Amino acid sequence: MANFVLRSAEPKDVSDILRLIKELAKFEEMEEKVMLTEKDLLEDGFGDHPFYHCLVAEVPKDQTTEGFSVIGFAMYYFTYDPWIGKLLYLEDFYVMQEFRGFGIGSQILKVLSKIAVKTRCSSMHFIVAENNKQSIEYYKRRGAADLSLEEGWRLFEIQKKDLVKMTAK
Amino acid sequence: KMEYKLRKAEPKDVSDILRLVKELAKYEEMESQVTLTEKDLLEDGFGETPFYHCIIAETPGENSSDEPDVVGFAMYYFTYDPWVGKQLYLEEFYVMDKCRGSENVFEPHVVQLAMKTRCTGMMFVVAENNQPSVQFYKRRGAEDLSQEEGWRLFRFDKDSLVKMATPAEE
Repeated sequence: MANFVLRSAEPKDVSDILRLIKELAKFEEMEEKVMLTEKDLLEDGFGDHPFYHCLVAEVPKDQTTEGFSVIGFAMYYFTYDPWIGKLLYLEDFYVMQEFRGFGIGSQILKVLSKIAVKTRCSSMHFIVAENNKQSIEYYKRRGAADLSLEEGWRLFEIQKKDLVKMTAK
Repeated sequence: KMEYKLRKAEPKDVSDILRLVKELAKYEEMESQVTLTEKDLLEDGFGETPFYHCIIAETPGENSSDEPDVVGFAMYYFTYDPWVGKQLYLEEFYVMDKCRGSENVFEPHVVQLAMKTRCTGMMFVVAENNQPSVQFYKRRGAEDLSQEEGWRLFRFDKDSLVKMATPAEE
């Protein structure tokens, strides 16, 4: 049974956060799409105005693989629904393979739920790849609703190159 | 032709913002779903940490001595993509019925904001049955991430959050 602690990320954690982001991206075969640097993570997460928040899961040094004690993370931020107000948005959520099955994920969700309730958020949102059946079931078991299915919302994005095009018009 | 002045929202605008939010909700036949109050908008938008930002569209009052009329708003906030960083998320925008056809009055302003704050993208949600809007955005280079990447938006509502936050028997 893994001994672990969950805590808010600190500036010193940015290199572990980046490592885990890349690991999760690699799992989705998208590792080369990670353009973010430790410097970005530091400025954006620990400056005057944090653009994201992170929870990290840490295990004692003697349980670590390759010397990493940070073995999981959840990245979240707050969004705003004009009808109901504040929402907690869970952006990324990952626990290293060898540390799964010990309830770390469930504990992370529990802490996030507490944060959401404490900040008076009306709900927690997150997206899941539609072919990731395992994750979909994991979340549905905990009461999550598939808004894309129920409400027919589609998420759109305009990338920088097209933003630039629009400013040049 | 409508002359709009765009400016950053101030605390005094919360009652107009709520009015416009309700008007847009009414247009979608969802007015009863708006539970937000002026107090929420004030605390959430103009406290120590703003949870949203607003741009207001004004037109001159009936007479030159009148206060300008608030006829539209755009609500946005910043999100974070773990691969590329800051994104501007355009949550909602609306211009009153009598001024329709000018909703994209906010577009250049919001795009400039995204560039200024060094965001790598701008995101927003469109109802899949709103084909005119879907086409409008696609023409400008927007990608339907739901279609291309197969993302589905999920939600844990308050009841589920409370359940998860309280100790459970395994």
